[in-house]
Amino acid sequence: MIVEVCGLRKRYPSFELADLSFGLERGRIAGFIGRNGAGKTTTIKSMLNLVHPDAGSVRFFGYPLVGNETMIKQRIGYSTGTISWYPRKKIKDIVGIVKPFYDTWDDAAYHKYRELFAIDEGKTPRELSEGMKVKLNLLLALSHRSEVLILDEPTSGLDPFSRNELLAVFQALKNDGVAVFFSTHIISDIEKCADDILYISGGRLAAAAPKDDFIRQYSRDGETLEDTMLRLEGGEADA
Amino acid sequence: MRNLLRKEMLLSASVLSYLFIPFGLMFLLPGYPILCGAFFVSLGLFQSFQSAREANDTGFSALLPVAKKDVVRARYLFVCLIEAGALLLMALSVALRMTAFSTSAVYRSNALMNANGFALGVALVIFGLFNAVFVRGFFKTAYRFARPFVTFIVLTFLIILAAETLHHLPGCEAVNAFGTDHLGLQLCLLAGGVILFLLLTGASCRRACADFERIDL
Repeated sequence: MIVEVCGLRKRYPSFELADLSFGLERGRIAGFIGRNGAGKTTTIKSMLNLVHPDAGSVRFFGYPLVGNETMIKQRIGYSTGTISWYPRKKIKDIVGIVKPFYDTWDDAAYHKYRELFAIDEGKTPRELSEGMKVKLNLLLALSHRSEVLILDEPTSGLDPFSRNELLAVFQALKNDGVAVFFSTHIISDIEKCADDILYISGGRLAAAAPKDDFIRQYSRDGETLEDTMLRLEGGEADA
Repeated sequence: MRNLLRKEMLLSASVLSYLFIPFGLMFLLPGYPILCGAFFVSLGLFQSFQSAREANDTGFSALLPVAKKDVVRARYLFVCLIEAGALLLMALSVALRMTAFSTSAVYRSNALMNANGFALGVALVIFGLFNAVFVRGFFKTAYRFARPFVTFIVLTFLIILAAETLHHLPGCEAVNAFGTDHLGLQLCLLAGGVILFLLLTGASCRRACADFERIDL
């Protein structure tokens, strides 16, 4: 396992993340699915030490996150579809500042993905559409040869064409041995490209399995994955 | 740290922080409470905290491959550099008023405090308070800064009031020395300001690092 999350617990006044455990492997795409407020972002923030769990541990590359954060963050990438960094600064200026932080920054990868995503370096993030902001965040994450990509709702706000492009990028990264972990509430994204499904409901990991096993275990005859997820979320999570 | 400081100066900072550095030259103004210059420089720094918060700078910095405490230290370093720039201008103004303008009637007839070693020392205390009350207060949550800034304003104006009043009290006239008069006392008061600045900044930076490590972003 390249990432191990073990017994993660975080209690808020109105929400609790309860004993979350799962692992990610090299060269596989894990889709983290759940409705809004299910605990996806809290889990991701805990994996990045932005939120401090009450219990549990997170290990990357065999090392605990606590005490090895700097080394680990050199080797992982994070992107979110919901936050825009430095909205009034030019993209080339933001990139120029970020680049020296990473020993593994790859200019060729940066130019390749910048062209693929059609990002104009002369623009500021506030001049970009929501979808382009996602691509910009992803561009920064992809340009330092991350071995693990943790993506919080990367496809939200993207048009279907851009979503397809992005999912194709995930496939290409997977083939290069990168572990991709992305949260979403868009079931078709999971259906298209995930190897593993992690389904979170009410702060609990209700199901975690390779996609085929998940479908075999939870889907009824003739049901699409979307039908299955809707049925499970409708009250049969433990079914 | 160099990369983080570069990020602070080029991405996080508001241009007003730089534009307000010349308020240090208010030490040349006669008939004006010169210590307000230190407050205006702090106001410029406050703008950087505001613009950084709007740009989601804290989350961005915490995701970079750096120790969280270095994010705090870089912000302190940036703040101290701006303060040092303003202090340099204040020191130049003090040097001019102690030498070339030491007999100038417009300064001699000034009812308000003179620009001297004591004034420079008090300016250092104001900057130290900004670091200890505002900057440290901000890092308790990494997003709330209204209360720490209002607290800083109240304390600063009490200090300015006290400093402006002091030389009118019997026996305290020497704090308002002109030229090189009472040079030993002036240097001691300046050294006191330096020591207080270093204590306030160093202690608050250590506590801010601990707070920032603890909070959820």
